[in-house]
Amino acid sequence: DDAAEESNVSAELVALRKRLVDEWNAWRTRLKAEFFGEGGKQDGLPADAQSEKEEIE
Amino acid sequence: MRPILLQGHERPLTQIKFNAEGDLLFTCSKDQVINVWYSHNGERLGTYDGNNGSVWTVDVDSESRFLVSGAADNTMRLWNVATGKCLYIWEFPTAVKRVAFNEDDTKVVCITEQRMGHQCAIRVFEINREGDGADQSQEPLHFFNPIGSKATVCAFTLMPDIIITGHESGKVALFNVKTGEEVENNERAHGSDVTDLQLSKDRTYCVTSSKDKIARIHDTKTLMVIKTYTTETPLNSAALAPNRPYVLVGGGQDAKDVTTTSQRQGKFETRFWHKVYEEEVGRVKGHFGPINTIAVHPAGTGFASGGEDGFVRMHHFDDSYFKAQPYGAVDIED
Repeated sequence: DDAAEESNVSAELVALRKRLVDEWNAWRTRLKAEFFGEGGKQDGLPADAQSEKEEIE
Repeated sequence: MRPILLQGHERPLTQIKFNAEGDLLFTCSKDQVINVWYSHNGERLGTYDGNNGSVWTVDVDSESRFLVSGAADNTMRLWNVATGKCLYIWEFPTAVKRVAFNEDDTKVVCITEQRMGHQCAIRVFEINREGDGADQSQEPLHFFNPIGSKATVCAFTLMPDIIITGHESGKVALFNVKTGEEVENNERAHGSDVTDLQLSKDRTYCVTSSKDKIARIHDTKTLMVIKTYTTETPLNSAALAPNRPYVLVGGGQDAKDVTTTSQRQGKFETRFWHKVYEEEVGRVKGHFGPINTIAVHPAGTGFASGGEDGFVRMHHFDDSYFKAQPYGAVDIED
C-alpha cells in the first residue's frame, strides 16, 4: 500500500511538472509571437521593422 | 567547476557585466575603479580610471565598443572599451545608480539618486556613435521624475520608448520615457527594494531580485508575475541562464545587520533555481560576504559573481551541468 501511495504521489508530481512545463512553453510561444510575429525569431533581437510594430497604448 | 578568482578590486563589487560575445567581463566597485577581464582565464585586461566615488553601475554595448558607467561622484561616463579612454562625462546633481543601453546601442537610460532636495530622475541620452564617440550631447533626449517610489533599476524593453523599472517600494513598472507616464505597474511585485533586474536574451521577460528575499520572473509586456523563487536571505541579484532552465540568485545579509553568527551560515552562496518548477537545484559557495551581483555568460557556459568581499569569482560549467536533467528529460523553451 505504501509503495502504491508513493508511486501515486510521484505520478502526481510528474503530472504537475508536466503541466508547469506546458504552461511555461505556451506562455513563451505566445510572448515570442506577440513580439516577433508567428514563426518569429526564437532568440536574439528582432529586426527593427518588427519591433516597430509593437505599440503600447 | 573550479572557479577563477579575479583579484583586483579593493572594495565591494557593485555590478558585473559580460559583453555580447562573453569573452570579456566588466566589473565595477566601491573602490572607484572599473576593471575588464578575460572571462576564460581571469586575466585582467585593463582598467577604466577616473571616477572619484563608488562606481555603482556599468553596461557595455553589443559591439564591445563603448562602455557606460554611473558613479557616486554624480557622473555618467562613456568609455572606449579597447583603449580605456574616457570619451565623455555627463554631470548630475546626484549619484548615478543605474545605466543601461538599448538593444541597438543608440540610447542609454540612467537613474539618478533622490538626495539633497533632488528627486529621483530618469534620463535617456542619445549616444552619438559617429567618429571616436567623444562628441556627445550633455542634454538628455528625455527626462522625467518617476511618480511615487524612487527607481532603483531599469532597462529598455522591446517596445519603443518603454522602459521597465524596479523601485524601492517593491514596485515594478513600465514608463514611457517620452512622456514620463507610468503606463503599467505592479505595486506588489515585491515587498521591499528591488535590487536587480535582468532581461532575457530576447528582452521579452525579465527576472528581478529583492530585499524581500524573493526573485521573480515577469512578463515585460503585462508585468504579470510568471514565477516566484522564495529564499531565506535578502537578495541582491538575479540572473537568467541562457539555454538552461535555471535562475541564479545571490545575496546575504550585510555584516552590519547580522546579530548572530548562525544566521550567516550558508547565506553567501549563488543559488540555482529551476526556472519552471520553482525548486532549488544547487548552490555554489565561495564568497566571504554577501553576493552583490551575478552575471551569466551570454552563451550560458558559465557565470560570475561579485561580492561584498571584493572578489569576483568566474565559474565555467562542467559537462555535468549541461547534461543534468533535473526531474527528467523535457523540452523547456528558453
